Amino acid sequence: MTPVDLQELTAMALEEIARADSLERLDEVRLRYLGRRDGLVTLAGQRLRELAPEERASFGQEFNRASGQLRSALEARQRQLAAGEEEQREDGEWVDMSHPFRGPGQGHSHPVAGLIREIEDIFAFLGYQSVAGPELEDDQHNFQLLNMPPEHPARDSHDTFYLSPPAYGWLYRTHTSPVQMRAMLASPPPLRIIVPGKVARRDNPDPTHTPVFHQVEGLCVDRGVTLGDLKGTLEYAIRALFGRERRVRLRASFFPYTEPSLEADVACAVCQGSGCRTCLQKGWIEILGSGMVHPAVLRNGGVDPESHSGFAFGMGPDRIAVLRYGLSDLRDLYENDLRLLECF
Amino acid sequence: MRVSHEWLGEMVDLEGVEPARAAELLTLSGTEVEKVTAYGVGLDQVVVGEVIGLRRVEGSHHLFLAHVATPGQEPREVICGADNLFVGALVPWARPGTSLPIGVEIGRKRLRGIWSEGMLCAPDELGLGSEHDGVLILSPHDAEAGMPLDRVYPPDHVYELEVLSNRADCLSHWGVARELSALLSRPLRDPDVSRPARSASGPTVRVTVDSSADCPVYLAEILTGIGNTPAPAFIRRRLAAIGQRSLGGIVDLANYVMFEVGQPLHTFDLNRLSPPEKELAVGVRRGRQGESIACLDGVTRELDPETLVVTAGDAPQAVAGLIGGEASAVGADTGEVLLEAANFNWARLRSTSRRLRLRTEASSRFERQLSPHLARAGADRFIHLAVRHLGATLGPGAEGGAPLAPAAAIRCAPRRISSILGMQLSSEAVANPLRRLQFEVREAGPEMLVTPSPYRTDVTTAVDLAEEVGRIIGYQEVPGTLPPIHQAPPLEALAEPVARLASAACRAAGFSEALSLSLVSREREELAPRLIGDLAHLELANPLSAQLGSLRQGLLQGLLLSAHHNQARGQDRVRLFEQGAVFWARGQERPEEPWMVALLDLADDSPEDGVSRLRHLMALIASLSRVGGGGAVEFRPVTWRALHRTRAAEVWAGAELRGIVGEVAQPVADAFDVRGRVEVAELRLDGWLKPGGLPGHAAPLPRTPALVLDLSVAVPTRALLGPALQAVSALGLPWLELVMPIDEYLGDQLGPGLKGWTLRLRLRHPERTLTTAEGDAARQAVLRVLELEVGAKAR
Ligand SMILES: [Zn+2]
Repeated sequence: MTPVDLQELTAMALEEIARADSLERLDEVRLRYLGRRDGLVTLAGQRLRELAPEERASFGQEFNRASGQLRSALEARQRQLAAGEEEQREDGEWVDMSHPFRGPGQGHSHPVAGLIREIEDIFAFLGYQSVAGPELEDDQHNFQLLNMPPEHPARDSHDTFYLSPPAYGWLYRTHTSPVQMRAMLASPPPLRIIVPGKVARRDNPDPTHTPVFHQVEGLCVDRGVTLGDLKGTLEYAIRALFGRERRVRLRASFFPYTEPSLEADVACAVCQGSGCRTCLQKGWIEILGSGMVHPAVLRNGGVDPESHSGFAFGMGPDRIAVLRYGLSDLRDLYENDLRLLECF
Repeated sequence: MRVSHEWLGEMVDLEGVEPARAAELLTLSGTEVEKVTAYGVGLDQVVVGEVIGLRRVEGSHHLFLAHVATPGQEPREVICGADNLFVGALVPWARPGTSLPIGVEIGRKRLRGIWSEGMLCAPDELGLGSEHDGVLILSPHDAEAGMPLDRVYPPDHVYELEVLSNRADCLSHWGVARELSALLSRPLRDPDVSRPARSASGPTVRVTVDSSADCPVYLAEILTGIGNTPAPAFIRRRLAAIGQRSLGGIVDLANYVMFEVGQPLHTFDLNRLSPPEKELAVGVRRGRQGESIACLDGVTRELDPETLVVTAGDAPQAVAGLIGGEASAVGADTGEVLLEAANFNWARLRSTSRRLRLRTEASSRFERQLSPHLARAGADRFIHLAVRHLGATLGPGAEGGAPLAPAAAIRCAPRRISSILGMQLSSEAVANPLRRLQFEVREAGPEMLVTPSPYRTDVTTAVDLAEEVGRIIGYQEVPGTLPPIHQAPPLEALAEPVARLASAACRAAGFSEALSLSLVSREREELAPRLIGDLAHLELANPLSAQLGSLRQGLLQGLLLSAHHNQARGQDRVRLFEQGAVFWARGQERPEEPWMVALLDLADDSPEDGVSRLRHLMALIASLSRVGGGGAVEFRPVTWRALHRTRAAEVWAGAELRGIVGEVAQPVADAFDVRGRVEVAELRLDGWLKPGGLPGHAAPLPRTPALVLDLSVAVPTRALLGPALQAVSALGLPWLELVMPIDEYLGDQLGPGLKGWTLRLRLRHPERTLTTAEGDAARQAVLRVLELEVGAKAR
């Protein structure tokens, strides 16, 4: 065996390594050349000691180079073959990854409930706590303490559901404002609350009415609260809900429990203010009623109107949802059709 | 209410004020203008023609040929379909080449062999209202042939107003003019109310008002020599513009004054008031049981002690403030009238109007607290016009009621107004808008004394004045600010509300959020599973329908209806939850309003799938309770109405029943027309979940290895795992960290009546590795408990 023979042997081995087409074959090649006992290259190495000392050095060097070369070739080929086999296995496990699978993902928010949470979040930033109140009320809290004595003309727009028997005196609240009164009676000012909840009015269901709907009431009572504070608060909230660019206007109005009273309109998104069917040709859409809490109402709530003042507002998330999401019929909000819910 | 721009212009200078601008000012200051319509605009091309000949077109049943003339012109032939023409009629004639304001071009047209020279127009074709009953016939008092029609109908705009319920003063042109005068800062020209001296001759009148609370003021005026001839053209035109028909001179005048100054008037034919005496005794009193009155609208109405009536010689002649009697109505031959200008108690009128189901222009003004001071202005304005235009002579008059108190002055500091509005306003800046509103402002040291206009019943306090100042200045002038926070919100405000926590948990588990009306059909809800057992429903006293007649006691009937709705629209997989208050009666006491959540999982699938969906639902309930601070829950198998006999459980947390979970019984699903197995739960959250408390207790993670042992046993088929696991836990084995089921075997290899459980035990000593012997001892102990509890045998 000479270094030349060793080179030939190595070349043969490299060729066989390259030709091996499975990990099994490759292992056979490895055993044939580098097998611990009778590998051809191993055997060649054992001849080292038969050589004359002057030949040993160069042969030894050659042997180390050859066996190193083979080992790395084996390793490379093995990696290559292993990867190929993994590929084959995965090919056998093909799935259609374009399949638009609709599995049990997250559920969806109801547009009105989602909007209420959004409104709560906006006001939470301004320091308002979300509170609830009873949906069944008495005349006292729903009307009288809010400056609406019996026969008051403003009761006309509050067509009320009474519970049977009427003698017990319960009614379904017509607005969330009685919670203002309950909150004032429950704790002294300062007060900043937001009250989402259901209310009912005796309107037959049609595209713009449902007999039960939602309101979000807000109340801020403190020392020195002004109408300017109401305006700034409403502008912030309305822009947060409808977008920074949306035009807002405040209009004088009348509610028995506020004085001065204001309504807020936003520019109609459909016609941008030029008038269309959605806004009844007005160019504006009314979205909330508000005002400075009437001194008599403050007094009824145990708050001294000489030292404290406050503002209150109420909005209809059902109507806002219909406007914001381009729906056409309020009744759709209570069908719970998944095709609608899945949009949110 | 409708008002005419041209009419308003008589009381406030509107020169250069576009209707759109006026509408915006009114809207922003509280009197919302819903619509502005052009009335009689662009009529300069239409001419007044006289019909001088008329005949039927041969061969047509409904076409007429009119010869229409204007002075100095040859008569022309015009074909017309209306049947109200007559020879001598003055009519609006649109000649060929005219374009009408509604956008129609008029040409020469050939009809049945005749050339028709234009068109004779109906009111709606001219933009004069919506009437289309025939050609507009013009009165010879107003028009003459050859005149352009815009001389009869000058261009006008009509505003449709939504007047606020506390602003009765705005239900008139004068009232709206007062607003515009203040808003535009232009002087107000009050209507002419000058009247002649009374004539002393003729009949006299006496007024007796039983209660000045019912009727604060009653003015009676006798007018003689009045002719019921047509009212002057400008009055009829203005009434037409706001949609009022002409009903004869006297009634037109009374209507005109009501729409102009806002005071409802009534005119009685003096000679038809019974009994005809030398001195007429007019009274205002309550009706009596058994009395009735035949009203102007042909209806006879029963009177009662709650109803106010106007009487003559004690006989009812009118339901006060609402409607007059037929017997004393003004007619074509009326020559003497008794004019009534009064004010009636608003609350009484409201309830009478509601009881009689009748609302009139007059009653709708009174019931909004019309100022009693208006009565004088109304009476005088009528007298002025009747003397001037209907030839009337003013006779004796009389008054009833209490002396009218002058409007009370309001003491207020400009500083107070500034602090309400959040603006820095000088005294002058406060006084100016008030003066523009015809309020009297007097300085009184640092304060001012403000006397509102007597016609404004809604302004009585300083905050009312702040509103007046604010809306006249315009709220766009108020700077927007945010109120400073003087005190942090209470700490409870930081906790996530239960409703939000539950909503998030249900959505995360794949359920979509539903909302239903709280009104239900009792029959339908009684079919549905409910946490509350037998309890009578709370019913509405005045429901819209039986379908919406009761208050809901639970949430599942709503979800079942929604499930049906979705399935009927091709959605086979329905997972919904709803949260909200339900209503439980407690006799006379305030009804209970538990806050509930219900979940529904529907798939039109195999029975096995029902079980796995049910288990997922139960897992969700358990984790909701843990996350929401409600503690561990226990499911106790139960038979529950409307749920599957063997697939229902109560949900217990601690010692409280919190809800139910199970599969809807098939007949119930059928009743709601829902296919497939419906897994549901209904839970009461209030009093159970308490999110947001202080952090709970945790411990460092253990460093020693666990000893994990599996134990397979055979148990009777209906053995319950829940109590078995509880018994194992109750054993209190040292180092037993966890015991959980990992397999359930339901095949028949174990023999009849048996099934297999495999439980996994995980033991861990905090300081050292456990030995096999210790593991075996634990396994034996568990086995013994299971033997005792459920008759388990090792396998
Ligand atoms: Zn629009």
